[in-house]
Amino acid sequence: MSQPQSAAEAEMASLIVEALNLEGVEPTEIDPAAPLFGKGLGLDSIDALELALEISKRYGVQMKSDDENNREIFASLASLTAHVMATRPA
Amino acid sequence: MTVGDFFSLTRPSLFLVSGGHRWSVEEYLERAARVAAQLGASAAPVINLCEQRAAFLVAYMAALLSARTTLLPSSRAAEAVAAVAAEYPGSVVVDDALVAAATADRGSELSAAPLATEVNADFVAMIGFTSGSTGVPTRHAKRWGTVAASTVHNAAALRAAIPPELSGKQPWVVGTVPSQHMYGMELTVLLPLLDGMGIHAGRPLLPEEVAAALAEVPEPRVLVSTPAHLRAIVASGVVLPKTAVVACATAPLDAELAAQVEAATGGILVEMFGSTETCILAHRRTAQERWWTPYTGVELHPESEHTRVSAPWFLQDERLLDLVERDDRGRFSLLGRSADLVDVAGKRASLGDLNQRLLRIPGVVDGVIFQPQQSRGLVRRLAAMVVAPGLTTEQLREALAPAMDPVFLPRPLLLVPSLPRTAAGKLPRATLEEALADLLSAGAAKRGVADV
Repeated sequence: MSQPQSAAEAEMASLIVEALNLEGVEPTEIDPAAPLFGKGLGLDSIDALELALEISKRYGVQMKSDDENNREIFASLASLTAHVMATRPA
Repeated sequence: MTVGDFFSLTRPSLFLVSGGHRWSVEEYLERAARVAAQLGASAAPVINLCEQRAAFLVAYMAALLSARTTLLPSSRAAEAVAAVAAEYPGSVVVDDALVAAATADRGSELSAAPLATEVNADFVAMIGFTSGSTGVPTRHAKRWGTVAASTVHNAAALRAAIPPELSGKQPWVVGTVPSQHMYGMELTVLLPLLDGMGIHAGRPLLPEEVAAALAEVPEPRVLVSTPAHLRAIVASGVVLPKTAVVACATAPLDAELAAQVEAATGGILVEMFGSTETCILAHRRTAQERWWTPYTGVELHPESEHTRVSAPWFLQDERLLDLVERDDRGRFSLLGRSADLVDVAGKRASLGDLNQRLLRIPGVVDGVIFQPQQSRGLVRRLAAMVVAPGLTTEQLREALAPAMDPVFLPRPLLLVPSLPRTAAGKLPRATLEEALADLLSAGAAKRGVADV
């Protein structure tokens, strides 16, 4: 692993593993900087939808499917966590 | 039939809406003519990579106006596009940026859109490429005459579900599906072009976005979606504007979800049955019917491992991988399909082939990929149990990823000491399901996760 997960990233990693049926992946083993989609965990567009729903439930953050920044937001565990933490309601 | 004929029968005043954009038919055709002018004089095919629905529609019409076939790669991944381009020398890639640039200056001189452009029945309206489980692209060429006839039936099936008090008004389509695949082409591209339905330019996916997009178009509304997207909408409890018709395809829908969708929309859910090979050929009201009603003229001929399909608008018979049972009224129900075939989120693969790919990975001693009956989440994924001492799940996943479409990547992907084989070496379905359930509840207990 290139860098350790922050507490927020660790929580997001568990959400990803549970929401996406990734049993067999240890949440703590997800590299915060590694790509989530395409390579890496090999997630697809249905996963993006499942993640967005779960994130809205857990954090009250509404993702947008036509957000031009989605590529960057969903790029890695680190970027996704940073986006959710920055936009979550107080 | 000419391009002008598309709209002359229905004369819709508005064609496309999305928030601030409202295009008349004339404006749409004018944009398409500008893109066509940009493409130059050759008749080489267009590779349409537009992600935005409005741009896709403009690029598709630009191709028609210049008598070019539209090519639809299985994905926008560079390799997939390059493979298609190599097969069609001279083909031109059209993407969102090209459409935006070609239509940026709409004040400049432009000869009127050539509405007299003849589109013949034998014109190849599109060639779709599917990746399949093997990664080798398969071509699906569609004649204009075939897709135009299918569209007439699709329109009739959807319009029949619109209540009488709204039947005189222009229906508006909102799609959660991309335009590139055959289902999206049929209902979000050809339906608006040939049946005078309006189209919402967005591709809303999240429940709140779907509700907002529906609210932006007038009644009667037609939502074009999939079981996974509808399941998300129902689970969210979002309040939807009254939607007369919901079309659903890509994977089987259950009657319970269909009834929930009807309750949430106040409309009728029409499930559409078809395949990339045949286009849509039957429909049913899933909340109330188990039997599919084929379009008039469609004939199904059950054969041992598949079903042969004929229709007056097919050039030749096509083959469905599903097995069907027919009733005396000409309707049919699905008996399942060859046990080897799996369907995940509308994509199909051979289980035998996927398993071969798993077993070929160096370090894998034994292993099985299967589709469990029960699955959490929006789609039924595949699962795998693998014996591979010395490999981590991460290494396994990395080795599997290049060999298959991501949708088939098994999850859970579990490393086990051995598979529950019978004395004869077989892996009975029930035993696999049980072993998987045990492993998952053990894993959940270990992580302190409630088993829901």
